Amino acid sequence: MVEPLVTDPLPIEGASRARHRWLPWALLRLGGVVFVLWAVATVTFFAIRLIPGDPAEAIVGGPGSQASAEALAQARADYGLDQPLLTQYLTYLSHLVRGDLGNSYSLRSPVVDVIGENIGGTLLLAVVSLVVASLIALGVAALSVRGGRLASALASLLEVIAAAVPHFWLAIALILLFSTVLGWLPPVSVPGVAGLVLPVLTLAIPLAGFLGQVMRESILAAISSPFVLASRARGENERGVFWRHALRHAAIPAIGLTGWAFGALISGAVVVETIFARPGLGRSLLSAVQQRDVPLVLGVVLVVAVGYMLVTTLTDLADRLVDPRVVRR
Amino acid sequence: MKRTLAPILAAATAIVVLAGCTSTPTTTSTEPVSGGTLVYASGDAEPTCLDPHVGGNYPQALVATQYLESLVSKDIDGTVIPWLATSWTEADDGLSWDFTLKSDVTFTDGTPLTADAVAANIAHLQDPDTASSTGYLAVQKVESVEAVDELTARITLSSPDSGLLDSLSQPWLAIESPTALERTQEVNCESPVGTGPFVVTKWNRQQSIILERNDDYSSPPADAAHGDVAYLDGIEWRFLPDSASRYAALQSGTVDVIDNVQPDTIVAAEEDDNIVEVDAPRPGASNRIELNSSKAPFDDERVREAFIRAAGVDDAITSLFFGTATRSYSALSSVESFGISEPEIFGYDQAEAATLLDEAGWTETDADGYRTKDGKTLELTFPVSTNQSIPAEQSLFEQIQATAKEAGFKVVLEPLDLASWYTALGENDYDLVSAPYTKVGADVLRILFDSDGTKPAPSGYFANHSQVTDPALDELLESANAESDQDKRADLYAQAQKIILEGFYILPLYDQQNHYLLRSDVEGFRALPTVSTPTLYDAWLNRS
Amino acid sequence: MKIRAIVAGAILLFIAVAALAPGVLAPTDPLAIHPLESFRPPSFEHLFGTDESGRDILTRVIHGAGASLLIGLSATAIGVSIAVVLGLLAGLGPRWLDFGTTRFLEVLFAFPGLLFALLFIVIYGPGIVTSTIAVGLATAPGYARIIRSTVLQVRRAPYLEAATVLGRGRAYRIVHHLLPNVAGSLFVLVTLGIGQSIVWASSLSYLGLGAVPPAPEWGAMLSAGRTYITSFWWMTFFPGAFIVLTAVATTLLGRSIQDRTRS
Repeated sequence: MVEPLVTDPLPIEGASRARHRWLPWALLRLGGVVFVLWAVATVTFFAIRLIPGDPAEAIVGGPGSQASAEALAQARADYGLDQPLLTQYLTYLSHLVRGDLGNSYSLRSPVVDVIGENIGGTLLLAVVSLVVASLIALGVAALSVRGGRLASALASLLEVIAAAVPHFWLAIALILLFSTVLGWLPPVSVPGVAGLVLPVLTLAIPLAGFLGQVMRESILAAISSPFVLASRARGENERGVFWRHALRHAAIPAIGLTGWAFGALISGAVVVETIFARPGLGRSLLSAVQQRDVPLVLGVVLVVAVGYMLVTTLTDLADRLVDPRVVRR
Repeated sequence: MKRTLAPILAAATAIVVLAGCTSTPTTTSTEPVSGGTLVYASGDAEPTCLDPHVGGNYPQALVATQYLESLVSKDIDGTVIPWLATSWTEADDGLSWDFTLKSDVTFTDGTPLTADAVAANIAHLQDPDTASSTGYLAVQKVESVEAVDELTARITLSSPDSGLLDSLSQPWLAIESPTALERTQEVNCESPVGTGPFVVTKWNRQQSIILERNDDYSSPPADAAHGDVAYLDGIEWRFLPDSASRYAALQSGTVDVIDNVQPDTIVAAEEDDNIVEVDAPRPGASNRIELNSSKAPFDDERVREAFIRAAGVDDAITSLFFGTATRSYSALSSVESFGISEPEIFGYDQAEAATLLDEAGWTETDADGYRTKDGKTLELTFPVSTNQSIPAEQSLFEQIQATAKEAGFKVVLEPLDLASWYTALGENDYDLVSAPYTKVGADVLRILFDSDGTKPAPSGYFANHSQVTDPALDELLESANAESDQDKRADLYAQAQKIILEGFYILPLYDQQNHYLLRSDVEGFRALPTVSTPTLYDAWLNRS
Repeated sequence: MKIRAIVAGAILLFIAVAALAPGVLAPTDPLAIHPLESFRPPSFEHLFGTDESGRDILTRVIHGAGASLLIGLSATAIGVSIAVVLGLLAGLGPRWLDFGTTRFLEVLFAFPGLLFALLFIVIYGPGIVTSTIAVGLATAPGYARIIRSTVLQVRRAPYLEAATVLGRGRAYRIVHHLLPNVAGSLFVLVTLGIGQSIVWASSLSYLGLGAVPPAPEWGAMLSAGRTYITSFWWMTFFPGAFIVLTAVATTLLGRSIQDRTRS
């Protein structure tokens, strides 16, 4: 899911620099993270319990087989479904702390195992897509700034279109073009690089659209700023100016967006992994939702939340190191 | 004499073939070649357990056919043929059956196939902890299984069951190693042990199941094309739920065989020389729409008939299925030998529908064109299972909705996921429904139309969706089930079907569609005539 | 840059007409089936081809504009309303309220958009209504954060300080200075948001969790055409193209407004 790209008008809080007092900040941050994780776990627990329908039925052979009463009762006992809600919640929390995420109904194996098997695929997809998207965005932004107004306008339009294209539509278009018509690439995932190309492109292109818009604005703002003019006056050539100042300026909002980009990539992965039949958390999540596999949905969402928190904390840290203007309250 | 000739011939052919191979690299062989891994991509849901005793649905049957075998099989004509059992006799009173097993057959874990193994398997099916549904229902009449001697098992019944052999031919009653069955269900679900031509070696959830050739295999069914071990080294059984990507994968050669083929791709495949189609309709009931006769408005036979007259099925099938599906006028699949067909009853006639509705008292029409009676609209609820109805079928229902509207019926389509669909059925919250049922043999009629079928099983599911409760029909179906004379059975089932069809309880559509598409270099592929699952035992890859 | 705005505006006008008065642009019935004319490729008779029941796709795309636009507007309205409340609370209230609200937003942010929507759908079931609400809820945190920062920024602006010095009351300051400025960026948000909401709602429909056929809604048409993508590409291509077109037009328009308000 992508938020509409309205960049924050100004860095927000105050105007003082006090980087040396980082320890209290770090502790506060850590506390915040733990709090958020607890809140997320609670939200997912209670939210899922609101589902109509009997989870016990999903355990016994999944949808499609007709279960006997004894089997259903057994499932209820095994998974503690007939306990009072508070007991279930406390048990759930205690399991979480020990790293036990329960058992997946539909896959009949521990949730941690399922996640362990699938997380690699999604991480690979996300990281490669992020890198490719950044490269594309940077490349387009750089070329368009050099190329003058027409190139800039064209690039801007392309970026807007790229950002607006739904993942599934792009995936289908790419499959039709590169697989059905040209036959260059396989339409579903195969081991190796060839099977990675289309899924990565599908995720990277819309992301590049967003990143490109942000980067270009920053670069344009930076290029016409006083310190760049001063560099030019000092006699530095275009290239030096560009690479040293403008780029660093472009990087700042991009780093800040990494956290959000991670979230957008995970969302996109749900569709992309399904269409290309790639193993990963996204596909596992979708089929878990379709089969009402409660523990697996909870587990995946929790793990994603943890990862997201991690990434945003790291990017915040990076942000502080890179951009001297940003401060804490 | 024949024994020494065969190897010599084989060697000679092999030499000729090899010579051919080296001189012209693209020569296609006509003799089966050993080796290679076949990639099969299934569009069905991934099973939750690879042991078909647990639960018992079609996706399980598909893959279990490669590593598990049943006591008997069926050939293309519907005759029961030997498999793990070489012969069988029914007692005169019909209350017991003796099965003689094939000798020197071992399960892949080394356990020998004996009568005790058969007993252990039936016990496993009847054990509530196993949570079997399909297999459990099929062996309901079995009271006990004893070993008369090492290779003879006697199955004792509570009352005669003419459908026993049919039931035993199904993959959901396959024979597994008794040693393996003693392990926990978790473990047995991951790697069931059978006597089949392949063995499950690894299960990568949501990705693939890896199967390897069983090099000690010795028990093919009587209608197999050869008698030795399988040709393929192994099978990679993949799950590709998206039909467009599945077909694209076949076209590009990434996979070798696919199932759940959509009608438009069947037609597209005809243009492609590299792809071959195998059509294998499932046995049991036809795909039909059932009319809920237990409540208004379908408790009135005239309204049921009016609906059937007003539903435009033929044009829809022509446009949506591209000639791959034939209209059915029978309650049973066309592969069932006891099926009867009555096309005259199901003619499309809007004028007749109008007359019938007038007769039934639905004489007024509201502003939208729907008929009303005493202030109530002629409304029909139609829950649709998106898991079980392919998109073409869902479009078919939309077209029926449109033609029925012309007669004044308001059909409300409700696409639902499987769990919600079962709930709607369980709560009698439907007027129309289409529920597939695969079972070998005409005994499926008893499950679907006997009044006992309206009583829910412990899970809440009941199979008699048209809610027919006719004592005369019950009598016919039960007698047919107890009758061992085939001609008498045929007659009883014919009479039963006449009651069902002429009561306008169902609107037959077509056979349960079951198409496979394969790369043209896959030879020896066939669907077992039992439940039309694919068997890769005789398959080989023609790639030199 | 002006050309952008004009083109975007023209596209949106066309879509608005399609939404409000589809009969003007496409007089035939979008639900009428013609089974024997099914799966026809684009031609003079049927510019966008026909679907599996022989219905004209151009007609359906035009009639679907209303439903799709409504979904986009509703989802955006839900998201922005929630966001305004949260953003104002955080920006205007005392520090503890800001702290609490920001933490709450962080929790919501921990669920990347689609996951939040899937969570909502798992509880309340699939369908048009639930997917619209789900998209609205999922986009709310993003808007809220921006509104909050805008409010904070305006709060510290010189003209607001000047108003305080001049003795203007709190309510006056809020109504006359704060809200108009917030509204400015809000308008941009809404414009951008409609396109995005349509895209996300149609993605949910594509996954089978949103609108269902035979409604002539763009997402439902995509869902129906999905299975025929390799044989009859026009069933998915044209509704998809309109979704992209709407999203692009709203984005271009939103950015034009943004550029103008900035300068």
